[in-house]
Amino acid sequence: MTRSAALAPAALGLMLLFAGWSLLAMALADTRVIAGPIQVAGWLAGNAGLIGRALAVTLTNAAIGFLAGNLAAILLAGIALVWPRLTHAVSGLALVVFCLPLIATGPILRVLLGPGEAPQIVLAALAVYYTTLIPLMTGLRATPAVWLDLVRSYGRGRLAELIHVRARAGLPYLFAGLQIAAPAAFLGAMVGEFTGAERGLGVLTIRFTRSMDVSALWAIALLAAAVSMVAYGAIGALARAVLHDRPPVILAPPGIGTGAGFGRAVHAALLVVLVLAVWWGAMEALDLNRFFAKRPPDVLAAMIRGPDAAATRGALFEAVAETAVFLLPGYLAGLGLGAGMAILLVLLPGLAALILPVAVALRSIPIVTTAPLIVLFLGRGAAGTITLVAVMVFFPTLVACLHGLRQAPGQILDVFQTYASGPLRQMLHVRLPAMLPALFAAARMSVPAAILAVTVVEWLTTGRGLGSLMALSASTSNYNLLWAAVVVVTAISTICYAAVAMLEARILAIYAPEQMRR
Amino acid sequence: MLASRLTRRGFMASGAAGLVLGGAGLRPGPGHAATPVALQLSWLHSVQFAGSYLAREKGWWSQAGLDVSLLQGGPNAPVEPPVVSGTALVGISAADYTAAAVAQGARFRIIGVAMQKNPFVIASLPANPVAAPADLEGKRIGMALANTPVLQALCSLNDVDFDAIRIVPTQYSAQPLIAGEVDCLLCWETDLPVAMAMNGIESRTMLMADHGYAVHSQTYIATRDSLAERRAELVALMRGEVMGWQAYRDDTDAAAELTVRMFPDAGLDLPTQKLQARRQVPLMFSDLTDAKGFGWWSDDSVEANIRTLALLDRTVTPDLWDRSILEEVHAG
Repeated sequence: MTRSAALAPAALGLMLLFAGWSLLAMALADTRVIAGPIQVAGWLAGNAGLIGRALAVTLTNAAIGFLAGNLAAILLAGIALVWPRLTHAVSGLALVVFCLPLIATGPILRVLLGPGEAPQIVLAALAVYYTTLIPLMTGLRATPAVWLDLVRSYGRGRLAELIHVRARAGLPYLFAGLQIAAPAAFLGAMVGEFTGAERGLGVLTIRFTRSMDVSALWAIALLAAAVSMVAYGAIGALARAVLHDRPPVILAPPGIGTGAGFGRAVHAALLVVLVLAVWWGAMEALDLNRFFAKRPPDVLAAMIRGPDAAATRGALFEAVAETAVFLLPGYLAGLGLGAGMAILLVLLPGLAALILPVAVALRSIPIVTTAPLIVLFLGRGAAGTITLVAVMVFFPTLVACLHGLRQAPGQILDVFQTYASGPLRQMLHVRLPAMLPALFAAARMSVPAAILAVTVVEWLTTGRGLGSLMALSASTSNYNLLWAAVVVVTAISTICYAAVAMLEARILAIYAPEQMRR
Repeated sequence: MLASRLTRRGFMASGAAGLVLGGAGLRPGPGHAATPVALQLSWLHSVQFAGSYLAREKGWWSQAGLDVSLLQGGPNAPVEPPVVSGTALVGISAADYTAAAVAQGARFRIIGVAMQKNPFVIASLPANPVAAPADLEGKRIGMALANTPVLQALCSLNDVDFDAIRIVPTQYSAQPLIAGEVDCLLCWETDLPVAMAMNGIESRTMLMADHGYAVHSQTYIATRDSLAERRAELVALMRGEVMGWQAYRDDTDAAAELTVRMFPDAGLDLPTQKLQARRQVPLMFSDLTDAKGFGWWSDDSVEANIRTLALLDRTVTPDLWDRSILEEVHAG
């Protein structure tokens, strides 16, 4: 496709987006939930200085966080592949850190790092490193076994393997990770400003939500969406400029024993010990005050031995039940929609220019801005929350699966084309199997992402479930309950993640055995 | 130095009766490095904290040898951790939150009360007003579920059937009221009603403090350790606050203008800030503060607070309140 041919549908997509936005704003003029493009443009023109300064602050923090988070992900992935024994510890700890709810980490970062921009940068980095790490680890394994054998036949080790073979195989997946990370970093920096930052788009969002300045809120939403679209597009262009090789046919010997049940139990136990040690050790090393930085024994006492233990457990169980109702349907809907949409876009490439801007916009506009709109259409019941969770899961799945579908080996597609088999047949026999590792990577990294999404929605809009419980316990200084909730959220995330990984192991052992090699 | 002292005297002469200020002995001579201390605010910068801005702008803290940084709050910025950990010397809290923190082991004392009257209101539209607690029965109220105990306390104070009210969990915004999703909102006198007024929407507010809900708000808290070891700094900080808020009362418009000028990146709107500044005056100043000075409280109000807090499941004793800093401030 030539450049101009690619730009035409993109322009059409943006035009449709604007037309839909205008119509919606006109239809809902009385409800004060959405402002149209003209009001937004007027507001932007009248407040250019204010919004420009805020954008500069938030964008800088997001960019630094984006760089730091992704560098950390690349480093961690490298470590895990050069020293395979560390894989479980690295990916386990990375998962646990990603699961930490920002309602709990935000105030602690503020106390640790003081006033200024540091907590926002850290939260932006935390929002992105995991969604890069997982696709990257998948990509670094997506190599034909013979290439690795070649490196070994020269007597070279795992580092040479990583540099000469795996790095190139991992690049397409790295770009997928970076595209997913761009809107996440921006949103992470904005939500990071809720911890008491002096300036930025997040601070303005809080202000304008209270003062019901809908034009200002949608101006911020427009900026967030525009920044994310530009970043998404730029990374995509970079990927197209860098990636010329057609994806190779990956042949790997199947089934090199993926670890028995006993081995898995040992790994799990080691991870728990490691997490407890890091948790306790870090708090002691930083000399965090026990009033709000609870250690493992404090939480144990609060949940099991303390006088209020029964009440604490009751509150937690109730909140988990409330959250689970939204979480599972939202997660599954987001995964299904993301994978389905990716398949549709490969079959009908013309649609991509229409769908992708909407997908990026949905992911990057802050929940506090869109929530009233979704509540208006879907009510305050389960449908609204489930939709918001699905939106958060949908985008990373779509991007990961799109990249996965493109990893279909060129030679095999050539064979199918020689026999004049249609796109549907190619999809079924070549592209779908090639997409499976990416789909499962998306499914795994979406577990904590969905849990984070649901708790943020609960915290900011519905006031129910785990998110609300954590916010309430922080505001009433019930830090025992808060940390107990953090433990429960992390444990649920890790267990669900492990469940998806087991399913993945079963299926990939057949379709992508190279992913199972250590 | 002499000139600034003269303006201070001039200010004091024009200040409220009974407000006796001094503390010249505390002021270090020129050349002394100022002691850095932090005041943790409970929310984003706005005229809600304008007394502090005045204290800084007029130099009432720097003259006393303090370099006060004002730490902004936010939705994910609880006040208690920075005060407990010593990052902030003083925090702006409220009696109910302070009581909760103390129950969890924080060694806090309330050393000043900015809002004598609790700012919680039930806001409604004139066509369907809530003028008295009894009107709540049968209504849909939009609020954060976290505030359920507050509504329960109001009901039991006024013999209202709590179960006859339908709670709708909403974001903290007036939008659901205007869209007709709810009949009333539980909010502050000084934020959502002001936002509605600035959007040209008339609203009614019923102040919960006028119906028995006695909880000191915008209270100054410090740890018992600070009270023992950093008294001079606490006295100097609170003296600046007292002077700042007195100046605020004398000209709320000027306070609003200063606020907008000091925080150009905060997205503040001058007419909104002026209206908010006027609306919080009756909550902060009373015959009692006229007689005793800003921040003061009576033993009766402590008793009333203890009774209301008991309805919120918070058990506190009168020694949660410590008047010794204010006594030093006002004694000079």
